[in-house]
Amino acid sequence: MMKIIMVCSGGMSSSIVVNTIKKEAEKEGIDIEIKAVGTGEFADKIKDGWDLVLVAPQVRHRLDSFEEQAKAAGIPIEVIPPQSYSPLGGTKLITQVKKYL
Amino acid sequence: MTKFLQWVEKVLMPPMAKLSEQRHLRAIRDGIVSTLPLIIVGSFFLIFSNPPIPKLAAKMSTELAGKIAIPVRITVGLMSLYASYGIGYSLSKSYKLDGVSGGILSLTAFIMTTIPLNIDGIGWTLPMGNLGGAGMFVAILMAIFAVEIMRILQTRNISIRMPEGVPDSVARSFEALIPAAVVITIIWAVRVMIGFDIQAFIMNIFKPLVRAGNTLPGILIPILLITLLWATGIHGVSIVGSIARPIWLTLSDENMMAIADGAKILPNIAPEPFFQWFIWIGGSGATLALVILFLTSKSKYLKQLGRTSILPSICNINEPVIFGAPIVLNPLLGIPFIIGPMITGVVTYFAMYFNMVARPATLPPWTLPAPIGAYLATNGDWKAAVLVIINIIIMIAIYYPFFKAYEKQLLAEEGKIEEELS
Repeated sequence: MMKIIMVCSGGMSSSIVVNTIKKEAEKEGIDIEIKAVGTGEFADKIKDGWDLVLVAPQVRHRLDSFEEQAKAAGIPIEVIPPQSYSPLGGTKLITQVKKYL
Repeated sequence: MTKFLQWVEKVLMPPMAKLSEQRHLRAIRDGIVSTLPLIIVGSFFLIFSNPPIPKLAAKMSTELAGKIAIPVRITVGLMSLYASYGIGYSLSKSYKLDGVSGGILSLTAFIMTTIPLNIDGIGWTLPMGNLGGAGMFVAILMAIFAVEIMRILQTRNISIRMPEGVPDSVARSFEALIPAAVVITIIWAVRVMIGFDIQAFIMNIFKPLVRAGNTLPGILIPILLITLLWATGIHGVSIVGSIARPIWLTLSDENMMAIADGAKILPNIAPEPFFQWFIWIGGSGATLALVILFLTSKSKYLKQLGRTSILPSICNINEPVIFGAPIVLNPLLGIPFIIGPMITGVVTYFAMYFNMVARPATLPPWTLPAPIGAYLATNGDWKAAVLVIINIIIMIAIYYPFFKAYEKQLLAEEGKIEEELS
């Protein structure tokens, strides 16, 4: 199983995108666990053992500090492109995730 | 417009994003945000102590109202106290110093600027007047002072070290000994022995800034910066808020305390709920209006986007719209997204300036539908809910021509795809 952590501003909007990814993964038969966190919780939650970090586009200006923390934890990190960050971006989102399977 | 948006992304956004990521500003933001749950709960007690239903309010005795308002005084009325701990904790964490020690030291430094009084029959008492929103900037500067002293002493290796084998928590408290002694002695000397009023001094410096936040330019500038940043896909409120939130909370605290003291007309127009409920209806850029238009769209894509994002939009979550439509770097939808909120901002400002609508004070949770949030934030003024509806209608009118032009573009594309398929 693949474990993904997604960081956005408050962890609210990303939960919508998280559901989109979950649905799409189910369709393709991929086993994933995915959790959305706000920027404040990120430093603590990153230590819980993940396979991939996704960064919501609206907090991409903080990528440097997220990258540093992800690197320290040895986890690959990716920014979600703005055009796939919506409930209708499922296919694009799952393609981005599948690279790390 | 495309060029302008690119300019915003390349020139305006990077320095602002960098500023908001600055260590001290980030600590201030995180520290203050950690007090929001208390303020939201305090808000509810304030609403209950002044119930918006006239019949209930008439039955409420002053004594009972005073009792219900006690949690307001302990949460909102001591807001800066909690913030000082939060800021000190975050700042010392960012230096990889012990967070709890930094938080406690900041709290001490802040309280040291208040002189306790010995009152007959009560004993030693701390005056609360400057421990709420009024003292926010004092709390911020004292937290920075305390943690910086801690850091300087640490980097110079000035601390009491315990031999190995001493438990961590004990060693830690000894490490904080010298910083605590230095911080307390300096503030004590300045405040008590010399008699220099640190609080009044800092509050006077920041007073013009807080008052400016309450003027028409003071609301239009943050509105413009927030939509400009969002138009490039960056979380505008989180960046602008890291600088403006201390001001917004100070204004909000003054209003809440005025209600608790029984005032009818509140002193300030533009605390944070002004923006939250009257301007950002459906999220930054007031996109609820746009989503309503999407629901009526002939374009399949926009219609489906409207359907999937109407519920989050009612709860003021609009990332699906901003990134889905998209509004980001889209000149057509970007124009009303930036201009519309400035117009509703002016309308709302004057409606409150002339007291046609009550001024907002309390902070209901931001995911409530806007008319309800506005009603609660103004302590139960139904006209506030009406103003929200008027603002939605204004935004629909502003978005409409741009939406139609964009729909035409999409319909042409959708038509082309269908032609190719058939």
